[in-house]
Amino acid sequence: MKNISILVTLFLFTVTLNAQVPVPAEPQSQPIVLTGGTAHLGTGEIVENAVIVFDEGKITAVGSAGTSYPSGAEVIDIEGQHIYPSFILMNSIVGLSEVSSIRAMNDEEEEGSINPNVRSVISYNTDSENIPTFRFNGILLAESAPEGGIISGTSSVMEMEGWNWEDACHTMDMGMHVHWPSRTRRNFDYSTFTVTEEKNKNYEKYVTDIKGHFADAKAYMDAEDKTTNLKMEAMKGLFTGDMVLFVHARAAKEMIESLTFAQSLGIPKIVLVGGSDAVHISSYLADHEIPIVIPPTHSLPDRTDQAIDLPYSLPNILTEAGVKVVLSHEDMLANARNLPFYAGTAAAYGMDKEEALKLITINAAEALGIEDQVGTIEVGKDATLFVSQGDALDIRGNVLSYAFISGKKVVLPNKQQALYDRYSEKYGHTR
Amino acid sequence: MKIRSIPVMLLASICLFQAYGQETFPRNDVKDERIEAFAFTNAIIYTDAENQLAGATLLIRDGKIEQVGQSIDIPAGYQVRDLDGKYIYPGLIDIYTNYGMPEVKRPGRSGWTSREQIDPTTKGPYSANDAIKSHFMAVEEFTIDEKEAEAFRKLGFGTVLSFRPDGIARGTGAVVTLGDGSENKHIIKDQATAHYSFNRGSSTQYYPRSMMGYISLLRQTYLDAEWYNELDEKPFKDVSLESWIASQSLPQIFDARNWMNTLRADKVGDEFGVQYVIKSGGNEYQRIAEVKGTNASLIIPVSFPDAYDVEDPIDADRVAYEDMLHWELAPTNPAVLSENGVTFALTTSGLKKKEHFFANVRKAIEFGLDETVALKSLTTIPASLLQIEDQVGTIAQGKIANFIITDRPLFDHGLTIHENWIQGKGYVITRESEPDHAGTYTLQLDGADYVMKISGEGNAQKVKLVLNDTSELNIGVQFEQPLVSFQVKLSKDDAPHRLSGWSTEDGWRGTGQTPDGAWFDWEASMVEEEEMASKDDESEDEEDTRDVGNVVYPFLAYGIEELPEQKTFLIKNTTVWTNEEQGILENTDVLISNGKISQIGKDLSASGAEIIDGSGKHLTPGIVDEHTHIAGGGNEVATNSAMVRIGDQVTSEDINIYRSLAGGVTTAQVLHGSANPIGGQSAIIKLKWGENPEGLQIPGADGFIKFALGENVKRSRNSNSIRYPQTRMGVEQVYVDAFTNAREYEKAWANYNAFTPDEKEDHALPRRDLADEAILEILNEERFITCHSYVQSEINMLMKVADQFDFRINTFTHILEGYKVADKMKEHGVAASTFSDWWNYKWEVRYAIPYNAAIMHREGVLTGINSDDANMGRRLNQEAAKAIKYGGISEEEALKMVTLNPAIMLHLDDRIGSVKVGKDADLVLWTDHPLSVYARAEKTLIEGAVYFDLEEDQERRNELQVERNRLVQKMLDAKKSGKRTQKAKSREYLEVHCESVLGEENHSHH
Repeated sequence: MKNISILVTLFLFTVTLNAQVPVPAEPQSQPIVLTGGTAHLGTGEIVENAVIVFDEGKITAVGSAGTSYPSGAEVIDIEGQHIYPSFILMNSIVGLSEVSSIRAMNDEEEEGSINPNVRSVISYNTDSENIPTFRFNGILLAESAPEGGIISGTSSVMEMEGWNWEDACHTMDMGMHVHWPSRTRRNFDYSTFTVTEEKNKNYEKYVTDIKGHFADAKAYMDAEDKTTNLKMEAMKGLFTGDMVLFVHARAAKEMIESLTFAQSLGIPKIVLVGGSDAVHISSYLADHEIPIVIPPTHSLPDRTDQAIDLPYSLPNILTEAGVKVVLSHEDMLANARNLPFYAGTAAAYGMDKEEALKLITINAAEALGIEDQVGTIEVGKDATLFVSQGDALDIRGNVLSYAFISGKKVVLPNKQQALYDRYSEKYGHTR
Repeated sequence: MKIRSIPVMLLASICLFQAYGQETFPRNDVKDERIEAFAFTNAIIYTDAENQLAGATLLIRDGKIEQVGQSIDIPAGYQVRDLDGKYIYPGLIDIYTNYGMPEVKRPGRSGWTSREQIDPTTKGPYSANDAIKSHFMAVEEFTIDEKEAEAFRKLGFGTVLSFRPDGIARGTGAVVTLGDGSENKHIIKDQATAHYSFNRGSSTQYYPRSMMGYISLLRQTYLDAEWYNELDEKPFKDVSLESWIASQSLPQIFDARNWMNTLRADKVGDEFGVQYVIKSGGNEYQRIAEVKGTNASLIIPVSFPDAYDVEDPIDADRVAYEDMLHWELAPTNPAVLSENGVTFALTTSGLKKKEHFFANVRKAIEFGLDETVALKSLTTIPASLLQIEDQVGTIAQGKIANFIITDRPLFDHGLTIHENWIQGKGYVITRESEPDHAGTYTLQLDGADYVMKISGEGNAQKVKLVLNDTSELNIGVQFEQPLVSFQVKLSKDDAPHRLSGWSTEDGWRGTGQTPDGAWFDWEASMVEEEEMASKDDESEDEEDTRDVGNVVYPFLAYGIEELPEQKTFLIKNTTVWTNEEQGILENTDVLISNGKISQIGKDLSASGAEIIDGSGKHLTPGIVDEHTHIAGGGNEVATNSAMVRIGDQVTSEDINIYRSLAGGVTTAQVLHGSANPIGGQSAIIKLKWGENPEGLQIPGADGFIKFALGENVKRSRNSNSIRYPQTRMGVEQVYVDAFTNAREYEKAWANYNAFTPDEKEDHALPRRDLADEAILEILNEERFITCHSYVQSEINMLMKVADQFDFRINTFTHILEGYKVADKMKEHGVAASTFSDWWNYKWEVRYAIPYNAAIMHREGVLTGINSDDANMGRRLNQEAAKAIKYGGISEEEALKMVTLNPAIMLHLDDRIGSVKVGKDADLVLWTDHPLSVYARAEKTLIEGAVYFDLEEDQERRNELQVERNRLVQKMLDAKKSGKRTQKAKSREYLEVHCESVLGEENHSHH
């Protein structure tokens, strides 16, 4: 009986849920001009009193006051406001997981440990209620990536709006996520109530396994006469440069081991997904021009001895060392909407604000291999940008008045604002 | 063919004399009773740690000491042993062993996803909780374990206390000697001690599973025992309680494992008039004043950690400072205890290998422990703690003949224990040690002469062959006086000549085989005796014990040697967010003295005040976190856990205290988790980094208790759960039941207390119940509810239950659907402490909206924003700013949501929460607008003392690097000098939040 009642509840809820996700916007039908605002281009440059023009989803002009624009364009005066390129959320499970505590709502982790052939875009739910809330804070693009195992699968970059996954997909199957094992194992010590490390006895075995899979994939690609193998097929793009290899490694030595391995295979695009241990190997990352995706600045230090503000200053430390840094989110997906403030915190701890902005815009675009299309406000790129009433990296300033995804003027309010309205009205509150 | 086994027996310790049967045992031979009388003469006898007799005689007979002294006539019929040059000591006592005890089965892990074992599984009329095993008696289960006995005897131990380490109450221990034969002869005290711990052992019963739960179970059992004992007519039979009662007069030994648990155990003892002897962990030096303050006698291990292998700097970086410093300071622990007048016994317990015992005691001596104290801690002190000083511990007439014979003073390097006598029976430990052969010899071998050198002492003698070019080659050697064998390589790459021989006047002679297998005769004779060069060897081994690091409080990175002082501060020319009617004051000064805010105004001056320039900065009240689990939060799992107290498990050793200070937090409520409808009592702390656990807690603060609603309490994520309640309907009944019972409980006691003494005789004494008492405090408005809550239906429900019992809920915490019933909340008068923007992590938070705080605030509900975890806890100012972004609350009101409003919720607004003359000087000076993402706490003050300072933090980082490097260099030296090392590894303190349950890692949230 219990199971049946849960099914019924789920069904009913799905109906109301669909009703609450805003209707996707129509494609851009006329040129749009934003005038009078301060444009944060994402290149490090700020244009005061800017004129930004876009048409058919692409940016056609970026300039200061007086820049010409086509007649018949929709002109939006945003004086006193700020324009930013879309914030880009990397390495997330957006669209794959809705309510993590409910098994039925999780689609980010497939059975087995070697799953190069599973593709996040297939699970991607455009009607996820998280999506409008991301948009609301300036996240208009996100990488939706599978999790778990050793090779988790293939990720895609998604626009934070669309009728279905095909519509919403920005760049399909552009990344493969590999989780390098750890040399240590965590061991709970009851007497001190702490977790200590133990040697991971299976480390060599796991590493040999991973190496074997990659070697097989490479041989498969070169072989002429072969039986089709889905897993091997899925890995081809890594060797041709059509796909980015995201190597997840948390400790310094594992980072070096995994990256040198990936490089030895001649994989052209490699990105490290790591953490504070990268400070030990920053020269390696700089020398080999490997970008790193790091956890939110809003994290605790990994170890007691670390500087208490290390997560806050890590983006600056690594950037200063010549490494390209991307800020991402971890854990509870709904909280990923705070991505802008992770960058704001990096600015509070040593970075120039425009440099901090890059952590969640152009640096992410470069790591994803889509820097020609997004990441900055430049002519020819997607008109995926937004207008904020204040400093979008600071909480009080991050209040969006407009957001455009490939030129489409998207709806910002969502279920949360609807509920706010409903109950303010119920109580007769004046706001 | 038995002969072949003799050499093996010689290596093991063997009994010098046969054991003779006990009178009551069946005989299978003719009667064979012998005189067991021995005289030991010419020895240096340590009758106890402080007294020694040279050239003395010891007479023992029938297992007892007959006489000891310097001029004693030896009666006829005694076997005389001349011990010229040897030493006799009392046999050592290990007060903390599980010798001869049955093995304790460790239960498998269980937690959020396993079926709860609600009832006990112990068969028979025993305790209602499987962790109460007070009925266990070591004497009944004791069996001689010859292998273990021998390991103890080798170390000079003759007597041990043995108990079974299972349960929170573990029953009684027995004192036994370490002889062989039948158990009957070796029990010298059968009901010697009663044992307790903070470890539920083999119990798989689901309650308790937290430190505070263990303490609560102990408390309740003390009360139950008193009650049971008082009753003339017992309502039920409880053998565990009866045993508990019977064993109260014995020495009470508590297994605490570290200094913090030692303080906790002592506190429990104080509540019930019990002074435990406490087995601590060897880190007491980390809080020696507090440990001393317990007045407890301690049992201390000498299990000093090995140095970490820090050769690789990346690996070394993972090792925590506290582990490195503990490596250095652990050997000072016995000396520190002794210098502070703490009485302690040493134990082998905790050593990975027992045979390291003497080396480690010697190490403690090198680090300042007085040898006399060391000996006492192994003889008279344990004897006295066990109340067996009339039987063992010294060498005196009438005592049991337990003693050891050694070749030198007990704690000297190169000690050889020759014999260990137990109850008048001698066990050979090491035969006569090998004579010293140090010197230069001529080795005639296979027709040629060689120079052979021997150095060192006893069993550590080394032999070398000196070649023509004066280089040396080691010679393999096995001495076994009078036999010897050498393996001699004549040049580096040769196979050895193998020599076997016997001692002569000035060396050895014998026979041997060349690498080719040819036999030859050989001879070695001394040409020059060597002066004792061994001193040099020892000094090489000696560590420089003077240069060790200082203890820091807490014992972690960024710990401090001394607590910050309250000072008179004048903060000049700053922007003051008063949270009072004056609002935000520009260019204003604030004077702080005696820990209080003493003046607010323009152009203030105060003589002797330390000036803090506040220009361009913002001063706000310290942040108050209504909901955290740092510094000792956690979960107990009984449906009604009202009896457990976070205050019992508050810890000072949490880096998150310091990290939170850096986020401007000065006060926090440390809450019980959300595993049950009725959780435990909370602790309210000030974040005084460096204080001890008691010192963190705010004295006189009102008592609060955690309640919880929704998915967690009905165990939604555990499909195996059988724990009541499983629905929100059941949750309500849990409350109605608890409050109803509490009223009944009150009535029962009121009735009983109203009786005259005579009437009381005729009425049964009611049982005290700590859960009922806590619930009753709520009804009587002496304790206040903070309730974890999400959906509107249950929020409404709890207010209705409170109305029914005529009291008010104090606070709903998390309260994510508070916006839906804000009007009802306003009417009830309950406060709300919410997350700013969390939602969608579980089913019941699908309708959580970040406008929640704004709506509740506008509706007139006292609203705060809380953290729940250490991460968010250090950015609550930013969380407050979200009430501006989502809902347009004014900046002043937003700041109040993390300062004044939670202070009001905690009933502390008369002391904290605003910048007002007379309030505690708990203040934060921010570098920027306090609600900005760019603001950093530059200074965080608590009661007029600076607990966090940005600049000082930088200095501490630098100092930490210097300190770490010093320790790394020292560890490298240790490894180089051949000391044992362990792999570098990190230590991570689990982050605790609402759903953390002991013994499992739970990564899901709230």
